[in-house]
Amino acid sequence: MKGPGGTFMTGYGRNTDAESAARGQKHGSELLGRRSVIGGLGAAASAGFWRPKGAGAAEAAPSRLFSPIAEEDALIAFGHTGPITDGGWTTAHDLGVQAVRKAFPRLRSVYVESVPYSADATRIFRQFVAEGAQMVISTSNYGDFIRDVADRAPDVAFLECDGHSVSRNLGWFYITHWYASYIIGIAAGLMTKTGKLGYVGTFPIPSVYASANATLLGAQSVNPACTMNAIAINSWFDPQAATQAASALADSGCDFLCGITDEPAYLRVAESRGIKAAMWNLGMRQFGPTAYVSSVVLDFSHFYIEQVRQRLNGTWRAAPHFLTLSDGVDRDAWGATVPLEIAARADEMRSRILGGYNPFRGPIRDNSGTVRVPAGVVMDDDTIYQWDWGVQGMTGLG
Amino acid sequence: MIALLTGLLSTAVLAGGVLSLAALGEVLAERVGVTDLGVEGLMSLGAATAIMTVIAVPDPWLGLLAAIAVGAVGGGVFAFAAVIMRANQVLCGLAITFLGLGLSATIGHSVAGMPAPVTFAPTRIPGLASLPVIGPAFFAQNLLVVPIYLLLPAFFHWLLFHTRHGLNMRAVGENPAAADAAGIPVVAIRFWYVVLGAALAGGAGAYLSLAVIPSWSEGMVSGRGWIAVALVIFAGYRPFNAAGAGLLFGLITAIGFLGQARGWPIAAPVLNMLPYLGTLAFIILPVLFWKRMRQVMAAPAALGTPYYRSVR
Repeated sequence: MKGPGGTFMTGYGRNTDAESAARGQKHGSELLGRRSVIGGLGAAASAGFWRPKGAGAAEAAPSRLFSPIAEEDALIAFGHTGPITDGGWTTAHDLGVQAVRKAFPRLRSVYVESVPYSADATRIFRQFVAEGAQMVISTSNYGDFIRDVADRAPDVAFLECDGHSVSRNLGWFYITHWYASYIIGIAAGLMTKTGKLGYVGTFPIPSVYASANATLLGAQSVNPACTMNAIAINSWFDPQAATQAASALADSGCDFLCGITDEPAYLRVAESRGIKAAMWNLGMRQFGPTAYVSSVVLDFSHFYIEQVRQRLNGTWRAAPHFLTLSDGVDRDAWGATVPLEIAARADEMRSRILGGYNPFRGPIRDNSGTVRVPAGVVMDDDTIYQWDWGVQGMTGLG
Repeated sequence: MIALLTGLLSTAVLAGGVLSLAALGEVLAERVGVTDLGVEGLMSLGAATAIMTVIAVPDPWLGLLAAIAVGAVGGGVFAFAAVIMRANQVLCGLAITFLGLGLSATIGHSVAGMPAPVTFAPTRIPGLASLPVIGPAFFAQNLLVVPIYLLLPAFFHWLLFHTRHGLNMRAVGENPAAADAAGIPVVAIRFWYVVLGAALAGGAGAYLSLAVIPSWSEGMVSGRGWIAVALVIFAGYRPFNAAGAGLLFGLITAIGFLGQARGWPIAAPVLNMLPYLGTLAFIILPVLFWKRMRQVMAAPAALGTPYYRSVR
């Protein structure tokens, strides 16, 4: 759908009409790219076709320092996975971009929306490099499509959200959203009357497993009988499917909905059905003030400003980063209908986690009853980041 | 069990209305021999227009009217190119889709993600709403449901198959040269029914953004316009079938989600495939077992071909 080179023209700010149109056509496949769905496939194809022989040597090399840049000479480029108006994931990242612009008023920054998970991504990132960007940040996982560009542009710093590999000039970052989900899960466990939570999921991938599992574990910590029904709607952004999924969950007896979609459709369903809902990405209480419980709120501002600052003054190094609770991810202020004592009990766990406590400790069983995390073992962030099984009480999700 | 069925059908009716209305519009265009592939773009444009209108003036009917008008204008542009200028219908349709998606993203940028201030709220129709299962699904939802599933299909069915004018319409779609020889205004009929079909696509967009989601975001239509185009073929170019096809598609999607929600021992990807598997099955099976279906469900013979009087 996308003509060769067509994507470049949109390098600055808004997209052209034709571009937006082409995007709509490919919506499903683009959003699929986010947070590693077909990463393996893409990576294999990309490595075979694009990566020059011997580039693998870069993998072992230590990260390096880059020379400092004056603020007025700097060009920072952002590749967004969706439109900045999606009201969720990409809007959250766009708020970060705006914060960078505010913190460094003389710096130039550009962004491209809806970067597809395809060779077009490689072309867009190459274009950033050709434009003279000293730092390229992708707001989703592009695997080898970004790695390929990074390997060939050793003087440019790259950051990939939800990435998995670190090279001399490519680092990754991700939010430890599972702690916020666990806290919200405690509220869910205390508020549900049927003991059945509903989860509007997207794809059966680690981010989704971690989010759903954490919510259910939080709920079970206060209400051991809690179960969760999860649905994968096969899209990050499809309000119609999310609405139908949420209705199906409500019809099946779930009285507390949570999920990980980019938009608030299931909150509206909860509002009209008279049940509760917890959201993701941003505060969304205006879409269902009675049903709204809280949200896993993302805030990339501080992280982005810090990374850009380090790049400007020459101290940036490629590294993996987890944005931690209260510094990049948190629960939103509790909804108007959340009882104070429930909010207090959930916030008690929040304080403990902020104090260093990790609630993800064994024994944790999977949904067939097998102990997957033995007693006494704690799941660290790296393990949770790779979570690919549902905990006991979870149905659905692949 | 009754409650479950009611819930299932209600979800299907609400979500399927988008497809039904858009497919109904496409039936009109294709019956007169024009393939309008601009449905996806026109729906998107209608959805954005409807939201922008109700944010300015909080009246859902005005929003619907604006979306229908914008759909008609978009359809007019398409019909001018494809019917009057006789350009390739497929390319013109794709152009309208691209234009509609891009334009709606641009004009709707400022209202993206905002909740609709007014919506087509559920209204109980006295008497009918208390029927079991069907009542809550059809007669206690928003006021557009009855027109979409009953009134409009009934009207267009009557128009197409029980009036002289409908016979003329079908003649234009089957054999424009013969119709022309008989004194039927081929170009005018094609033009106005394409415009009317596009207006319904715009209306489907308004239904989506004012009754189903209620809000606008870029990419919200997510390919439903293309499904509507496909459903027209499935429906054999008949109004009631088109409305039913939309409902059936909504129902199968809803069953897939219900299966996941209830933890049926079927893999989620398979359940997500159901609407597409179902469509394939419903298209193939009747034709296999009932030969006459091939004629009954056949496409208008002149579908997709521009009409040149000079090469008659």
